[in-house]
Amino acid sequence: MRSSSGQISAPLPLPDERPRLAHLGGVRWGLLAAALALTLLGLATVRSATAETGDDFLQRQLVWVGIGLVAMVVAFSFNYQTLLSFSLPLYLASLAALALVLVLGYEAGGAQGWFRVGSVGIQPSEFAKLVTALYLTRYLAAPSGRELPTRQILAAMAIVAVPMLLIVLEPDLGGAAMFVPMAAGMLLVAGVKPRVLLLSVLAGLIVGLLVWNVGMQTYQRQRVLTFLAPDTDPLGAGYQVRQSKIAVGSGEVTGKGYGQGTQSQLRFLPARHTDFILAVLAEEWGFLGVALVLALYATYLWNVAAVAMRARDRAGILLVVGLGSVVAFHVLYNSAMVIGLVPVTGIPLPFLSYGGSFTLINYVSLGLILGVDFRRFVNR
Amino acid sequence: MKIGEHREALVARVRVVSGVVGVLLAAICGAFWFVQVVKGSHYRELAENNRLRRMAVKAPRGTILDRNGRVLVENLPTYNLLLDRSRAAAVGTSLGFAAPILGRPLPELKALLERYRGVPTFQPVLLGERLALEQVARFRVEELAHPEFVVEVSHRRFYRLGLHAAHVLGYLGEARAEEVADPAAGLKAGDWVGRRGIERTYDPRLRGADGEQVVVVDSRGQPVEELGRQVGRPGENLTLTLDAELQQEAERQLEGKVGAIVALDPRNGEIRALVSAPAYDPNLFARRLAAEDWQKLLDDPSRPLQNRALQSTYPPGSIFKVVVAAAGLAEGVITVAEGVYCNGSKRFFKRPFHCWKAGGHGFMNLESALKNSCDIYFYELGQKLGVERIARYARLFDLGTVTGIDLDGERAGLVPDPEWSQRARRRAWYPGETISVAIGQGALLTTPLQMATVIAAFANGGRIVTPHLVAGAAVPSRPLAVPASALEPIRRGLWKVVNDLGTGASARVAGLEIAGKTGTAQVVAHAAYEDSSTRPWAERNHAWFASYAPFSDPTLVIVVFIEHGGQGSRAAAPVAKALYEKFLGPDLGPAAAS
Repeated sequence: MRSSSGQISAPLPLPDERPRLAHLGGVRWGLLAAALALTLLGLATVRSATAETGDDFLQRQLVWVGIGLVAMVVAFSFNYQTLLSFSLPLYLASLAALALVLVLGYEAGGAQGWFRVGSVGIQPSEFAKLVTALYLTRYLAAPSGRELPTRQILAAMAIVAVPMLLIVLEPDLGGAAMFVPMAAGMLLVAGVKPRVLLLSVLAGLIVGLLVWNVGMQTYQRQRVLTFLAPDTDPLGAGYQVRQSKIAVGSGEVTGKGYGQGTQSQLRFLPARHTDFILAVLAEEWGFLGVALVLALYATYLWNVAAVAMRARDRAGILLVVGLGSVVAFHVLYNSAMVIGLVPVTGIPLPFLSYGGSFTLINYVSLGLILGVDFRRFVNR
Repeated sequence: MKIGEHREALVARVRVVSGVVGVLLAAICGAFWFVQVVKGSHYRELAENNRLRRMAVKAPRGTILDRNGRVLVENLPTYNLLLDRSRAAAVGTSLGFAAPILGRPLPELKALLERYRGVPTFQPVLLGERLALEQVARFRVEELAHPEFVVEVSHRRFYRLGLHAAHVLGYLGEARAEEVADPAAGLKAGDWVGRRGIERTYDPRLRGADGEQVVVVDSRGQPVEELGRQVGRPGENLTLTLDAELQQEAERQLEGKVGAIVALDPRNGEIRALVSAPAYDPNLFARRLAAEDWQKLLDDPSRPLQNRALQSTYPPGSIFKVVVAAAGLAEGVITVAEGVYCNGSKRFFKRPFHCWKAGGHGFMNLESALKNSCDIYFYELGQKLGVERIARYARLFDLGTVTGIDLDGERAGLVPDPEWSQRARRRAWYPGETISVAIGQGALLTTPLQMATVIAAFANGGRIVTPHLVAGAAVPSRPLAVPASALEPIRRGLWKVVNDLGTGASARVAGLEIAGKTGTAQVVAHAAYEDSSTRPWAERNHAWFASYAPFSDPTLVIVVFIEHGGQGSRAAAPVAKALYEKFLGPDLGPAAAS
């Protein structure tokens, strides 16, 4: 942000680290507005996608949005530096939770990754992702040269690998994969030698082969194969991709109208309110609706980048980049998935998709980003 | 500042990473533009295909009535049980539930299901037919627990008369894969097609055209709402020329026998009764799961599926004498008054030929030779005519070709001559064969239906009619190329056969003038005067009686043929008598004839 670069040196009176009403001008409103607009679109689409089930998905999602907004304010009010100082115990606690869920959790969608509290499911992997971002930020925040030494990169990878491995065991490949763009974004920005980058791509390929042969369940391999040739098995595993593409394409420019999507209302589409919510929206709102959603995500990410670039310190930059990378990857992967460009896996859309833990985490992450921005002038 | 001297580097990298994300987002947006705007109409069509099902609304097949409006074939609603294996939690459990309700053992149902191995699981398969209402109710009650069972309401063909007129009416069969594949046939999988008889000949008229219903379905194929309906054309009802009562009585007469009866109106060729015995129940074919019954019919040595009135050929025996006599008169070889002396036997071509009456008939002219069916008279006539002229006149009477009746599988029979002998047998014609052909034996073969048209030509004064079962299908009759003067003496002879103590006296009905000719066709070589009734059934003679009445204004031709029935006068003529008595008898009045 060229215009804001001038403000970096400008002193601003913020004696206290706690935000006050008088200082609300320091909030990045554009970021919040994009998130809220996406949330509203999401609620409307969840309502349409679940109308015929007769279930109360909309009410539940409304509750989670409410909880999310509160959590956002709480996250905003914490000084991220303080939070970073607690990140190691939080990290360890999340590893414990991930281990525990393998024993005590219950299964949904082929993965044992949920704790059940009453009728509410809680997914510890979502929280682990946030906490890992915090701990990784703390580890990489220590000042170093222009580029990270190889030893530090390997250590950073190890920090990310442990929770990933636990999530792969659930087995939730999609959930585990989310750690990769987060870590990659942070490491790239922190500084990686081109040689190391090349080596890690190679290592990634080897790990990928190992995962395919050893770590993957049959249904997961099937999903990848289906992705490669979706039309060969119309009622089998390729069904989801095919139905999703039909839903998206048949929306054409202006869509079939809200609540009028035949693919979604007649239940041809799978996971309508979660992973394939964009397909429902595309069918009912057409390309104009999709363009609006993508524009809102672009606004959101553009604001996140702006926050990162004017953050006060290295930790702030890295934390915002890590959290922003996760959102960016979710958006890119999910939207590519509903039109069959990448294999189907459980990666929902931030703010748009139905889902308790996921909604909560997105708002906490938003709160943290807003908090970093709010404290960009504070000297401690 | 903790940020240190490398802040600019960090910011630059953030710019690069977010630039990459921005480019990817733009690419995704372009991809959506491609899918939704460029290919949108393609996917819209796919979505429509997904949600819309075109379901055929079956056109009811036309009913078949007799000439008096009696229903012979109609459609009855029927309930079939279908199993959608894709919706069954476990197929074994489903069968276990269905078996006691259907009253069939579990292994039987399993074997049945095995047959559908190649059928995709989401395509429902037939598990039971003709369910009773209480069975339907039991599946409906358990609908939630067993959504895999579907009770389908359809129509099945019902042949009201059971065995009666089976060969005329025919039966239906399910469309075969190659018929469904042929667009010209216009058939869909599961359609029924006429396979035999009237059901086959008039299949396009009876079938009508199916309508179509467009329904919105959800992902499980369940109908949600109806969008539109295109009304089909119901099948045409067919009125036959058949008289159900005459048909039933004729069948009763053939009970326990093997043979055929043809009754037709000599004025126009309308079939009044057409019987072939033994028969089968066409209702067996109205089911899809009746493979065993079907095999049983095929394996039956008496071949009940064969329509003996037109699909089997036999030597006509002495009935053929009317043709030979017509040839003799028309060719001027004989006159009415000229006679022959019959002493029971005569040598032709160095071989003795016997008359059926040992000891002979004495002096015989044309009328008395017909009345007594004297063989010696016709041996002489045959020799004078020669085989070529006999064959020519036989063909004038349409022997050796199909009559053109509106039923399938009609046989043409055989009119033998030297040319045929060279071609088919690769040997010369023996002169003695001419003598045999002259009395309807030898290689000569005809169907009972052909003999009915031959005798009808005498009844109607010299016209060849085309027999038919549907009134609209009438083909105009053709004049017979034999002068009426040659037919009249023969008619008188035929009157004497029945009414002047001739061979057909057993067909005489008081108050009704019947004319006719008996026939006794040898199956194996033996002396003509020998009584074949002591021989094994398969070697006994065929009994024939071809007749018409009333003599002065004939309205009915009846041909009775009894396979291995023995003498025509004893076995066939009384059958005709019973039918005339019932349908043209004097107490019925003249109205019954029309």
